[in-house]
Amino acid sequence: MNVLKVSRLTIAAFVLPCLLIYISIVFVPILVSLYSGLLDWNGIGEATFVGLDNFRNLLFHDPLFWPSVRRTLMFAVFSMFEIPVALFVAILLRRYIRKPNFLVSSYFLPVILSVVIIGQLWKTIYNPGSMGGMLNQLLTAVGLESWTRVWLSDPSVAMYSLYFVALWQYLGYHTLIQFTGIMNIPAEVYEAAKIDGAEAFSADRYITFPMIIPIFKISIVLSFIGSLQAFDMIMVMTGGGPAHATDVISTLMYNMSFLSMKYGYGSSIAAFLVIVCLIATLLINMIFNKSEKRYT
Amino acid sequence: MMSLVLTGSLALSLTACGSSTKSETTSPTDSTTTNTTTTETVKEKDVTITFQNIFPDPTDPKNKLMNKLVKQYEADHPNVKIELDSLNTDQQKLKLKTQAASKEVPDITIVNPAAQMKPFVEAKLLAPLNDMLDENGLKGTFQDGLLDWYSFDGSTYALPDGNNIGVVYYNKELFEKAGVKVPTTFEEMLTVVKTLKSKGIQPMGIGEKDTWTGSFLFMNMLLRTNGGPGFLQDVVEKKKTFEDPAFKEAVTAFENLVQAGAFQEGATSFDYNAGENLFKTGKVAMYYMGTWATGGIETSSVNGKVGVFKFPTINGKGNPDEFMLAPGSAFAISADSEHLPETKAFLNWFMLNFPKEAFAAKGAVGIGQKVEGDFKAAGYSDTAMEILGLFKEVKGGDLSFDNTMNPGTAQAHLTSIQNLFAQQKNPDEVAKEHQAAFEANNK
Repeated sequence: MNVLKVSRLTIAAFVLPCLLIYISIVFVPILVSLYSGLLDWNGIGEATFVGLDNFRNLLFHDPLFWPSVRRTLMFAVFSMFEIPVALFVAILLRRYIRKPNFLVSSYFLPVILSVVIIGQLWKTIYNPGSMGGMLNQLLTAVGLESWTRVWLSDPSVAMYSLYFVALWQYLGYHTLIQFTGIMNIPAEVYEAAKIDGAEAFSADRYITFPMIIPIFKISIVLSFIGSLQAFDMIMVMTGGGPAHATDVISTLMYNMSFLSMKYGYGSSIAAFLVIVCLIATLLINMIFNKSEKRYT
Repeated sequence: MMSLVLTGSLALSLTACGSSTKSETTSPTDSTTTNTTTTETVKEKDVTITFQNIFPDPTDPKNKLMNKLVKQYEADHPNVKIELDSLNTDQQKLKLKTQAASKEVPDITIVNPAAQMKPFVEAKLLAPLNDMLDENGLKGTFQDGLLDWYSFDGSTYALPDGNNIGVVYYNKELFEKAGVKVPTTFEEMLTVVKTLKSKGIQPMGIGEKDTWTGSFLFMNMLLRTNGGPGFLQDVVEKKKTFEDPAFKEAVTAFENLVQAGAFQEGATSFDYNAGENLFKTGKVAMYYMGTWATGGIETSSVNGKVGVFKFPTINGKGNPDEFMLAPGSAFAISADSEHLPETKAFLNWFMLNFPKEAFAAKGAVGIGQKVEGDFKAAGYSDTAMEILGLFKEVKGGDLSFDNTMNPGTAQAHLTSIQNLFAQQKNPDEVAKEHQAAFEANNK
């Protein structure tokens, strides 16, 4: 602050508007939602204060809650596993394709499509063969009839079908991020390595990986947080069904607040989600700070 | 944080939808109203009434008649401007709940009967309409007893636009092809399902992603196994529990239907429209739905091949003349409306003219008011005539589950029934699930 040679007042004046907006649209709603989490309220009538009852029910008595937490975390883990794949694709693109821009844009295409369109598209692909489902008909055509499933209605596979669609949609996104990261690594470094005898994948091992870690981190954080808030795609494709088999935290919250009209209970789920997001972000940052220090 | 952003954006997008429709619909009327008010009226103050409704589809006869009536009223009353806020059903339900939370209910809005509107009445958000019903004899235009579903402690709070019953639509052509007849018992119905199946015809279609669809059918089966209406009422009054044999019998019958392969594969990922389209495109032979579906079926490719039958008896129990009753969504007035008298006067006039206009627009099958006129001569289809005939045979029945029970219990029930499409469950377990949910939500 002293370096800038501006009075504290000026700094405050410039920071204030942004700070106010941030507080009023982020912090205040979080606090309000934490408070409504302490109420027994249907969202319309009188609210009664019940203390931590909602949280107690949520954490210890709700048979739907922990399974949906598990599905949410699985979602996050799967989408993190996707990042190395995206990195691999990006490396291949950089090394073997002379003009990769067209390919990168086509991989990126699903990201700019509306989730509703993607949901409808995959719903038709997943349809039973008798209803014209592409996947099932394909399996039948190549003689894998025993592999056909009612992908979105069979509780044991429905969630995985949803994971897959999300992974498919965002592969291009992360490939683009990784690709940009790789392009930003100066060519001289590779040339120098070539002289030292490091080529192809050994160059990746010693140059690309260490230098791309900050970008890698961005992708991981984005995919993790993104999958914690997964909502629209699930709503479009299964609505959390059959019988909560594809409910994640956010869809459960929606069901509770708006369909079961337990607004207070829904808010306590929201509060839980906030806490999970915060912890996860801190954790990821910590892990990467360590590894960044090791390499740089 | 994400969740907040999520709900926030949800609310935003909802209101965004609302305001965009508003600006569209009001712009043409703007100039005319201001012009006339300056010249003609001196005493009467300018009033803007917000009219939230669920007729956003311009091809729907109800949308047309609403626009027509609103324009006519505005022309007759230059000081009154009516702002339409047209949303589809789910959006409207959500928007109203959001508005109710901040006590900003529009002048006229849409609510659903009995248990679904009870929270709004208890929060004193709706204005009692008794005085307005007595004006111009409006009360007498409604079918007898219909307003009871919208009345609490002697006051009526909403005026229904419809009154429907649950029936089974069937495709005559497909029935003929498979050589089956309309079943008169549930056992025959199972045979019909199996025969159709063996001939390669999908017996029934359902849009079970929306969950209420399966529940509506299930409740009709419960109406039969219980030997009459009132099962849920007895549960509410603690005279019975969900572990009653009648309930378990209904679950068993329902599972038999599912296991016989009656419904299309992957039913739980079909939404209401997708499920109905299976029938409308002639892909399935039977479709259980409220009679409000008639209009849509008549304008589809199967028009002329469709018949209806009453849901049959199960194990000899029940009376086919008892139906699932579906008193429709209803117009209500906000208790905090700034122009209560004007709003009441408008709604009174609107409802008085509703049956006549609906009849002319061929949308009078299943409306909640008495209609005068010869349907046959007015060009209504055979299916419509058949349904009008069924209406005359109605000897009572039950309301849907979510109109009878509180939302918490209803959601548990809807999920539990949806689950039966995905996996076979022991009826005892289903009954226990229901009872547990009922007890947890009625402390």
